[in-house]
Amino acid sequence: MRKIIKFVPLILLIVVCGFFLLFIIFEKDPSNPPSALLNKDMPKFSTSSLYNKNIKLSSDNLKKNVHLSVNTNVATTEDNLEKYTLINFFASWCTPCRAEHHLFFEIKEDYPNVFLLGISHKDSPADSKKYLNEEGNPYSFVGLDQNGKIALEFGVFGLPETFIINNDGKIIFKHMGQLTKKIIEDEISVFF
Amino acid sequence: MKYQYFFRYIFYFFFIFYSNSALSIDNLNDKVKKLTLELRCMTCQNQSVYDSDSDFAKDIKTLVEDKFKEGLSEKEIKVFLTKRYGEYILFKPYFNIKNLLLWLFPFILLILSLGFFIKGLKKY
Amino acid sequence: MISLIGFSSLCLSTFFSILFLIPNSIFKINIKFCLLFFRFSTILICISFSSLITAYITSDFSNFNVFQNSHSEKPLIYKIAGAWGNHEGSILLWLSMISIYGFLYSLMSKSLDDFKINVLKIQSSIFLIFAFFIIFTSNPFLVNSVEVNEGLGLNPILQDPALAIHPPMLYLGYVGFSLVFSLGIASLLSKNDDKNWLIETKRWSMISWTFLTAGIALGSYWAYYELGWGGWWFWDPVENISLMPWIVGLALVHSLIMTRGEQAIERWIIFLSILCFSLSILGTFLVRSGILTSVHSFASDASRGLFILLIFFLTTGFGLLVFLVKSPIKKNHLNLLLINKTSALIINNILMIIAMLTILLGTIYPIIIEVLTNTRISVGGPYFNSTVLPVLLPGFLLMSIAPVLSWQSNKIKKFRVYVVFFLFLSFLALIHSYFTVFNTWGFLGLILGSWIILASIISIILRFKFLISLNYIKSINSFIAHIGVGLMILGITFSSIYQKEYSFNISIGEEININNNILKLENIKVVENKNYQSLMAIFSLRKKGELIDYILPGKNYYPVSKMITTEAGIYHDWLKDIYITLGNEEDSTWNIKIYLNPLVSFIWIGVCIMIFSGFIAIFKK
Repeated sequence: MRKIIKFVPLILLIVVCGFFLLFIIFEKDPSNPPSALLNKDMPKFSTSSLYNKNIKLSSDNLKKNVHLSVNTNVATTEDNLEKYTLINFFASWCTPCRAEHHLFFEIKEDYPNVFLLGISHKDSPADSKKYLNEEGNPYSFVGLDQNGKIALEFGVFGLPETFIINNDGKIIFKHMGQLTKKIIEDEISVFF
Repeated sequence: MKYQYFFRYIFYFFFIFYSNSALSIDNLNDKVKKLTLELRCMTCQNQSVYDSDSDFAKDIKTLVEDKFKEGLSEKEIKVFLTKRYGEYILFKPYFNIKNLLLWLFPFILLILSLGFFIKGLKKY
Repeated sequence: MISLIGFSSLCLSTFFSILFLIPNSIFKINIKFCLLFFRFSTILICISFSSLITAYITSDFSNFNVFQNSHSEKPLIYKIAGAWGNHEGSILLWLSMISIYGFLYSLMSKSLDDFKINVLKIQSSIFLIFAFFIIFTSNPFLVNSVEVNEGLGLNPILQDPALAIHPPMLYLGYVGFSLVFSLGIASLLSKNDDKNWLIETKRWSMISWTFLTAGIALGSYWAYYELGWGGWWFWDPVENISLMPWIVGLALVHSLIMTRGEQAIERWIIFLSILCFSLSILGTFLVRSGILTSVHSFASDASRGLFILLIFFLTTGFGLLVFLVKSPIKKNHLNLLLINKTSALIINNILMIIAMLTILLGTIYPIIIEVLTNTRISVGGPYFNSTVLPVLLPGFLLMSIAPVLSWQSNKIKKFRVYVVFFLFLSFLALIHSYFTVFNTWGFLGLILGSWIILASIISIILRFKFLISLNYIKSINSFIAHIGVGLMILGITFSSIYQKEYSFNISIGEEININNNILKLENIKVVENKNYQSLMAIFSLRKKGELIDYILPGKNYYPVSKMITTEAGIYHDWLKDIYITLGNEEDSTWNIKIYLNPLVSFIWIGVCIMIFSGFIAIFKK
């Protein structure tokens, strides 16, 4: 018994160092906690279009076997029965959003089946429109989230944030912060 | 045995300490304060929602207030928040199997060392 | 040029410490000559560090480190402080201190035997590990490849007098434990049963602990007026990390009182010495590797983290292995009495170690959970308050009477006096809590704090002599220290439980009345300073129509790094602080927050008393 107690500090040291080592090796990022919503059902929400208040889109529209016909003056997506949805929270006041914006055009081009849902977060419709005029509009649908309620449902706390939702309405990918080409190639392209 | 007094008082201390920890708070503001003090402001660095003035903290404060007004309990609001932000938002981790070691460790050590100490006492 | 001098003296210093480490049997040189190597190494490392400081003072932007962390338009003091305000410089400071501690030890310890050489050799090995760390991963003497004539500027948060001297203080504490570590290991390695190491350990652990106390207090005072939300301790990982060696150091200082030749206690002391220094390195690792998020900003880097992790593992592992192999097999049981000084000290040690382990577990638990389950949890203030404080409570209670307990017997002198006063005090506290809102922690804190003070004062009075001499102060030193702790407990309790907070939106000229303190927002102005602009609100504080003071909360804007810092305006009073922070402007009204923090001054007074008695204890034989 006494012999075991003697070794306790050494064993503890090894165990603790092991955990630190694993933490560093796995490249865990302290400023980017793992999402709680990953592999869970996407939260329910409903949003109206930036360009026409009467056109509404709800989370149910994004699920499999639901006929989606959204009429915006931007893009029309119809009859996409096998579809993945990429949700991107953006705002005109957010600089990294501007930096990653061009990547959505590439995604749109490379993966035409993906439904690109942009959500303008805590931004006035006029500013968002101006932003999309300047940068171009890659989104299939641009929803409004002026009071930040949808972002709250999605657990968003730092713009931009990007989610990918599969056919069953499950969140399969989440990225906080600016997207890069590398992330799209390494992590996003595997889904499509 | 004169030092009996001391032990009696130690006992009183702990009695008072544990019997009063569950005082009910009725005031909405106090309830919001108590809960938001235990929530992490996700956009700040190690600051509670209550102490922070950031946008995120403001949102959460109004959310918590609304939920209390809707009649949700503190526990239900915590569940609501952890569903979305993960347990990371709670400064006081849940008492569950995963955190069992965290919560029991100090008290197990306390009991163990008390045992060793009593064993070491001179018998007289 | 200066970078070259700095780097070459750093390398030379490393070379000399390698020379010092070569076993004497190879060269067969005089032991005194050997000592010279060590002293050369210290002098060279000092030259190296001073050349870094010189580079900072002269704003020599050909040095990459200076370029990244300094700016020519900074006041002189922050130029100097810039030298340790970054990773590379602070590690160089750490390295110089390892050597300086060894140097001072070699001067102050008069004897010249194997033991002393062993201590210096271990100290020199620690020096060598950190020197390699600097040379290979964090060299502060890198030269800029392109010519620049302006630097990027120091993090504005660090441009503050308290924070400028906070790191050296803290490091004096942390690094001091390296000498304590060396003393402990050397005593395990030495063959003869000399008790000299105990005296040395006593001195150096006291010095380190005192500096560490001062360092932590400075940091926490800075957090109080700079972070701007009225608190001064947040159970932040970085704070916990500094608290752990502090607690173990405190346990060490206390256990050194009870050395009466028992082997068990001597081994315990060595164990604590090892623990102290490894916790100090662990702190450096956790801060520098950037695997924790914290309110305190630092430059951090994960690849350096691996190196420090290795240093931590090797040093601690070495210490614990030597401890395992070399500790004597001979057993002698401690015979403990129930109400006895030795027992009290042992209980105090056990409680402190449990508290430290709890803080350690709480700090690293999120890391463990994330590795195991890939989910992240937070362990914050509420956890530590509900685990560490209950563990420490019996210790605080014991503290009030422990110094008067006897070493041999099972009795307390004048026991009746203490009981009467304790009952009287509880009665007063009950009345106090009856008239205010009852709060369990408030009640406990009030009773504990005032009882510790009262019991210590009674003890001093009971042995009162009409002599105010240094010797007398030395003899009542433990009571003085405990009075400091009592004051601190009172301050902590009142400022955290009875803190009042108000939020207002006011415009210029408006008045606010808080408990008959009339605050008037006189004006808001912008002041141009050398390297920042400050927006300052001027509040006048009046009481019964009389002007008492002006309170100046504000915000500073640093154009070089485009950062805004908040500066709380504080009116200090013995019994309360009026603490104001300035928020944002909306429609020409300003959002302000006012905190009434009762008895905060007691915390700082308590800490000052503890530091004072720490210095007294250094000279105590």
